[in-house]
Amino acid sequence: MDILRYILKRILQTIPLLILVSLISFFIIRLSPVDPLAELRLNPSISQETLEKEKIRLGLDKPIIVQYGLWAKSFVKGDLGVTSNGEQVSVKLKERIPNTLLLTVIVIFLSWIVGIPLGILAAINWKSSFDRILTVLTSIGMAIPSFFFAVLLLLFAVKTGWFPIGGLTSSNFSAMNFGNKFLDVTKHLILPVTVLFTISLAGLQRQMRGNLLDVLDSDYVKFARAKGVSEYSVICKHALRNAVNPLITLLGFEFAGLLSGAALTEYVFQYPGLGRLILEAVLKSDINLVMASLMIGAVMLILGNLLSDILLIITDPRIRGAK
Amino acid sequence: MKKGVCLVLTVILCALLLKSCIRRDNFSEIQTGNSSEITEVLNTEFPQNSKTVTINGVEYLQSQAPIGKFGGDLVTSTIGEGPKTFNPFNAKDNTSATMAEIMYDGLVTTHPKTGEVIPKLAKAFKISGNNYIIELRKGIKWSDGKEITADDVIFTWRDIIFAGYGNTSTRDSMVIAGQLPTVEKLGEYEVKFTTPQPFAPFLRLLATPIAPKHIFEPAVKKGKEYFDTFLSTNTNPESFVISGAFKLQEYIPAQRVVFVRNPNYYEINLEGKKLPYLDRLVYLIVGDINNEVLKFEGGELDVIGLHGANVARFKERESYSDYKIYNIGPDTGTMYLSMNLNTRKDSKGKFYVDPIKQKWFGDLNFRRAVDYAIDRKNMVLNVANGLGLPLFTPETLNSIFLNKDLKPYDRNTNKSRELLKQSGFYWDSNNKLYDKFGNRVEFNLYTNAGNTEREAIGVMVKQDLEDLGMKVNFKPIEFNSLVNKLVSTPDWDMVIMGFTGSPLEPNGGKNVWLSNGTLHLFNQRQPDEYNSPKLPFEQRLDYLMEQGALVINFDERKKYYDEYQKIVYDEKPFIYLYSPIRISAIRKKFGNIYPSELSGITYNLEEIYIKDKNR
Repeated sequence: MDILRYILKRILQTIPLLILVSLISFFIIRLSPVDPLAELRLNPSISQETLEKEKIRLGLDKPIIVQYGLWAKSFVKGDLGVTSNGEQVSVKLKERIPNTLLLTVIVIFLSWIVGIPLGILAAINWKSSFDRILTVLTSIGMAIPSFFFAVLLLLFAVKTGWFPIGGLTSSNFSAMNFGNKFLDVTKHLILPVTVLFTISLAGLQRQMRGNLLDVLDSDYVKFARAKGVSEYSVICKHALRNAVNPLITLLGFEFAGLLSGAALTEYVFQYPGLGRLILEAVLKSDINLVMASLMIGAVMLILGNLLSDILLIITDPRIRGAK
Repeated sequence: MKKGVCLVLTVILCALLLKSCIRRDNFSEIQTGNSSEITEVLNTEFPQNSKTVTINGVEYLQSQAPIGKFGGDLVTSTIGEGPKTFNPFNAKDNTSATMAEIMYDGLVTTHPKTGEVIPKLAKAFKISGNNYIIELRKGIKWSDGKEITADDVIFTWRDIIFAGYGNTSTRDSMVIAGQLPTVEKLGEYEVKFTTPQPFAPFLRLLATPIAPKHIFEPAVKKGKEYFDTFLSTNTNPESFVISGAFKLQEYIPAQRVVFVRNPNYYEINLEGKKLPYLDRLVYLIVGDINNEVLKFEGGELDVIGLHGANVARFKERESYSDYKIYNIGPDTGTMYLSMNLNTRKDSKGKFYVDPIKQKWFGDLNFRRAVDYAIDRKNMVLNVANGLGLPLFTPETLNSIFLNKDLKPYDRNTNKSRELLKQSGFYWDSNNKLYDKFGNRVEFNLYTNAGNTEREAIGVMVKQDLEDLGMKVNFKPIEFNSLVNKLVSTPDWDMVIMGFTGSPLEPNGGKNVWLSNGTLHLFNQRQPDEYNSPKLPFEQRLDYLMEQGALVINFDERKKYYDEYQKIVYDEKPFIYLYSPIRISAIRKKFGNIYPSELSGITYNLEEIYIKDKNR
């Protein structure tokens, strides 16, 4: 019951936050000197009448505050509006979201399933050569910028011809049977997943290792060891449970990054995800599309935080007590 | 000990990474330098014009190109976000228009070599005065099997275009003295267009796609708002009814557009078999040029337009690769340097341009001095990697209206100095230039930030002009602010800009050259200034642009446009810089490739085929 009330309170708190986020982003986009019509203006074959019509269609003839009001009104109604080309924003997003989710879910799944055990192993075998090699590798993984790594892999794909150069499906995809379709998508996913996986794995492994080392150094672990508890249950029963808390917060952030975290990599690999769509929208100042994506980002971040807080309440009795 | 091992490992790793860098660096050194050999102009032998052949009462268009083999795909690309619509009448961007033109043929098309208007969907056309009589082919069909008749043509022009549905720019460009042309049906296979006055550009506008009446009519009846969403990118490909060589098969956002051959196409080969040869035409949607190059290199693309350093790199490998590189001549865009000739005051009584500067820019000697000081060859060499040609005329070098009497010339700073001296400019001991009233010659040069080509040109112009002792403050500013500066608040001194042009129709530039045009940048008049005095050469340009559109005969028309080019060449309101050269690469396996300066390389998609491997 307490938890429910807590959740409700948190959700109510997000409303003013969302309003603020939307206001700030709307004004920044509209006040930036990017004119959605600049291209048309400098085209000798576009007449003045066409320009005026476009202006009215995009609502650029009204003051910014009115534009915001109109946007907010339809947003509350659940209508995300139309893009500058007249397509439904919600349709555009729907086309891209599954692709991005496919990529990010695979990456998160892989990096957690590999990163956590590697972190634990490294912490247990602290200062061994295994730990050191992992440290070097993860340092590289953390240091390398994702777009650079992505470009390197693309060049690799061009030189060897082993992998397709970006995209998600081959041009004869629709004619394939299910097995081949699966293989085709897998082949296209390997490189972008490698990039994102390397980077996210590195961070996660370091985090887990650090947390566990902290805990292993604490008094109660020493006590448990002194008591003669087996090493296995010291780590699994006592240390791990306490070491995992910061990771839950991290999980919340991973959730927020589900839709927006892979934008750069998506762009380099020409992956048909949200990132590419939104980057192109920002460059054109396609207000409805940009606003929709920013709002999605904000909502996802809030949800992610809420999720991790709730999980923490469940796992950590100290927080439960403090409330 | 362990630390030592780690250190050694790290050093080895770094060395390996650096090694790969070094190799790449050497590689790119080889690439640069030898691009001049590609600049020779292509000399294609085109097949004879297509003919009309009657088989079983159907008047087919017969391609005279050599007979090819059926089957196979051609994969090409489009940069950016892909098509926004498949409705040919809604297309506002190039990609959408290209895709729509693949599916919907127009009545006429352009000959790839001579630029003449030749029949396509129409069997023949006749012009007498203001009347254009179009004869249609008998018995040719839409992809759903219905016949293409005069009703479709009438419907397309009267109920879609003249009625103002979709993108109205075609309609807007046809309004002559407030009146639109009319269209009437003379028979089942004959229509007549009438323009209110003689209007030369009209014939080319007949290349506008024709829509199937039985599909478009219900959409038109639902109103303009519905029409804007009709045949959008979400439409089921099955529901398209088309006349072109290829029909949409699937559109996957941000990935590709796939077209499949139209079995009902009305063009046949010399054996009487229905074209096109290719089974499928695939457009990959790529985000940027770099990715496109990688895809071509990786074999995913069959044809590509090459730029900059890539040209030399690909040319070097051409001899042992499976592609051939073609030079398809100068680009249709123009790049120019312009001075602000505006001498008017704004509503507050303040001059748009500083009166001191007005005297310089308004002085023909000053403009010509600037022109002679600019080193176009150097620009071509350094900015365009040698892949460009100096430009001196407003019509591009591949234009059929180009005035060939206007000769190019080299940089000549002595002449510049002479011209400046004639107008009373003088230099102090530090080679600083002053005008005859003792004002230091200093002005701002703008271009749009982010366009690396124009920024590079700006730096070179600045250097060239500073050799003359002028002080140039080069300021690249954001595109939109620049457009605003140029069009709405004409408070600029000098600018580097570019326009897209047409090699076929100079009338498209009338917004630029008419003194009250919306893009008359060098002397931009605001709507309330339309009656302000005009410079003598502006008056002449007004006359020439207006008369040029009224004469139908090509040779007579060209006289008007020759004179307009001569005026621009002499008066230098725009100082043209250079035209980039377009280079394309296409796999050797394709047959019937006839690169054309006017139409590019894959304009004859229905004739292109894949050669036998063993040949």
